[in-house]
Amino acid sequence: MEHMQRYLSPVNPAVFPHLATVLLIIGTFFTAWFFIFVVSRKNSKERPLIKELLISLCASIFLGFGIVFLLLTVGIYV
Amino acid sequence: MKIYWQYICISITCFMLNINADIINKNVERVLDLTSQLVKTTYKISVEDLTGIAVKDYVLIIREPNLSYISAKDGFDNTVKLQKQESENIQEHSYILNFLKDSPKQSIYIETVSTKNLLPHPYEIKQNDKQMVKFVGNLYLYSIYKTITQKTNVILSSSNVLSSTQIKPFSLAANKIFFGPYENVEKLTEEELMIHYENQSPFLTVNSLDRTIEVSHWGNIAVKESIQITHSGAKLKGSFSRYDFQKDGRSGQSAVKSYKTYLPASAFCVYYRDTNGNISTSNMNLQQDYVDLDLRPRFPLFGGWKTQYVLGYNIPAYENLFSAGTDYVLKMRLIDHIHDNMSIEEAVISIILPEGSANIKLDTPYTVNHRQNELMYTYLDTVGRPVISFTKRNLVENHITDFTLKYTFSKVSLLQEPLLVIAFIYIIFIFTIVFLRMDLSITSHSHKE
Repeated sequence: MEHMQRYLSPVNPAVFPHLATVLLIIGTFFTAWFFIFVVSRKNSKERPLIKELLISLCASIFLGFGIVFLLLTVGIYV
Repeated sequence: MKIYWQYICISITCFMLNINADIINKNVERVLDLTSQLVKTTYKISVEDLTGIAVKDYVLIIREPNLSYISAKDGFDNTVKLQKQESENIQEHSYILNFLKDSPKQSIYIETVSTKNLLPHPYEIKQNDKQMVKFVGNLYLYSIYKTITQKTNVILSSSNVLSSTQIKPFSLAANKIFFGPYENVEKLTEEELMIHYENQSPFLTVNSLDRTIEVSHWGNIAVKESIQITHSGAKLKGSFSRYDFQKDGRSGQSAVKSYKTYLPASAFCVYYRDTNGNISTSNMNLQQDYVDLDLRPRFPLFGGWKTQYVLGYNIPAYENLFSAGTDYVLKMRLIDHIHDNMSIEEAVISIILPEGSANIKLDTPYTVNHRQNELMYTYLDTVGRPVISFTKRNLVENHITDFTLKYTFSKVSLLQEPLLVIAFIYIIFIFTIVFLRMDLSITSHSHKE
C-alpha cells in the first residue's frame, strides 16, 4: 500500500466530451467519404477493394473510440 | 516448625495458581448517552490486583441485547484486543482483554453502542403526543470481580423524566441523572436500571441498505445506495391530519421531516430518486471536507411509516484507487453516513470490478458474511465483471471505516471496449461492401455504356 500511487485514468475525464465530439466528427467524415466513394462509381468493373476497406477501417476506428468516449461523457462508465 | 513451613509452601502454590483471585474493580465510571435512538455507553474502569501481581487478562461482561459496536483502550490510549467468548446467552457478551503492559494497576476505557434498547412506551401515540421511551439496563457493572466504588451518569434527551430507578444516592439535574457512588458491590450483582423519559429525537432504522460500488478504470467510482428506512419510534395512532401538522408547531414532533446525509467531499453527479423518479425536495451544500445533502422524503415519516429511495453519486477514481504496475488496491468506506445516529439492520455491499480483474482479495475491518461471488453483465461486457459481495447486520456510525480490496488488472484490457465497438462498426461496413458487390437483379442487364 505504501509504495502505491494514486490511480489516474489514462485519459483525463475533463476532456471526454471534447474527445467524443472530435472523434465522432472525423468518424462521420470517413463514413460519408466511404458511402460517396462506393455509390459514385461510374464503372462497376472498377472495384478498388483495398481502398474501400481502408476508408471503412478508419471510419470505424474513429467512430468506435468516439462512441466509447460519448458513453463515458454521459456517465456510462464502461 | 516443619509443619508450619509446609503450610506456607502450600499456600504460596495455591496463590500462584489462583492468580485472578484478587482482581478488583477499584473504580468504575459509566456514562450512558440516551439522547438519541442508540444507547452509547462509555466505561472507565480502574482495575487493581490487591496482591501486587501484574494484571494480564481481564474478563469483561456486557449485558446489552443488540450490542452493535465495542472498542477498548488502555490508559495509554492503545487499543486493547477483545477476545470474544462463546456464550449461550444472547443477551450477554463476554470478552477477555489482554493488556499490553504488565502492571498491577490498569485502567480501561470501553465504548459500546447498542441499538433497539430504547422502546417506545406507550407503544402507540397520537399525532400531537410526545414520544416517551423506556430504557432498561443495569445499575451496576455486571462483573466477575468485586467493585469498590462505582458511578453511573445518564444523559437524556430532555428533562422530562416520568419515572426512574431510585436507589440512593442519586440526583437529577436538568437532562442528567447521576447514580452513585455505590460502594462495595459484590461480584455478579444484578440491579435493574429503568428510566422512562421523553425522547423526540428521530427514531429511524435503516431496514436494508444495498450499497453498490462500481469501479471503472476510465477514472470513476460509481456508488449507488438503495435504502429502506422505517420510523421505528412510537407508532402513529389514529389518522394523520396534514392541517394540524402544517399549522401547529407542536404537532408531530417525533415525525421525521428531513435528515442530513454526508457524502465524501469529491462526490459529484448526485441523485436522489425513488420508483416515481427524482425527489426534488433535496438540497446539496458543498462543505470543506464533505458534501452535505439535506434529504426530505416525499412525506413526513411518522411512527411505523417507511420510505424507500436510491441515492447515488460518483467519485473520481484517484481518491480511492491505488496502483503499482498491474496491482490495484481499492480503499474505500464500507458503509457511509446515512443520517446522524443511524442504525442499519442489514447492509449488503457489492463491489463491481472491471472486466479482466483477477486475484481478488478482500480485507474488511470487522468480520462480515461473504456471499457467493458473481458475474455481472452491463454495457460492452463479454466475460462479465466480477462482483464481490458481503453482508453485515446491525451497523452503526462507528462502523464507518475503510475496507481494502486488492486485485490485478492489465491496462490492455481497457482497450477491449473500444475494440468491441470498432469491430461491430467494421462488420457493418464489410457487410455493405459485400452487399454492393452482389448482383441481386433477376435479369442480366443488356444495356451497354
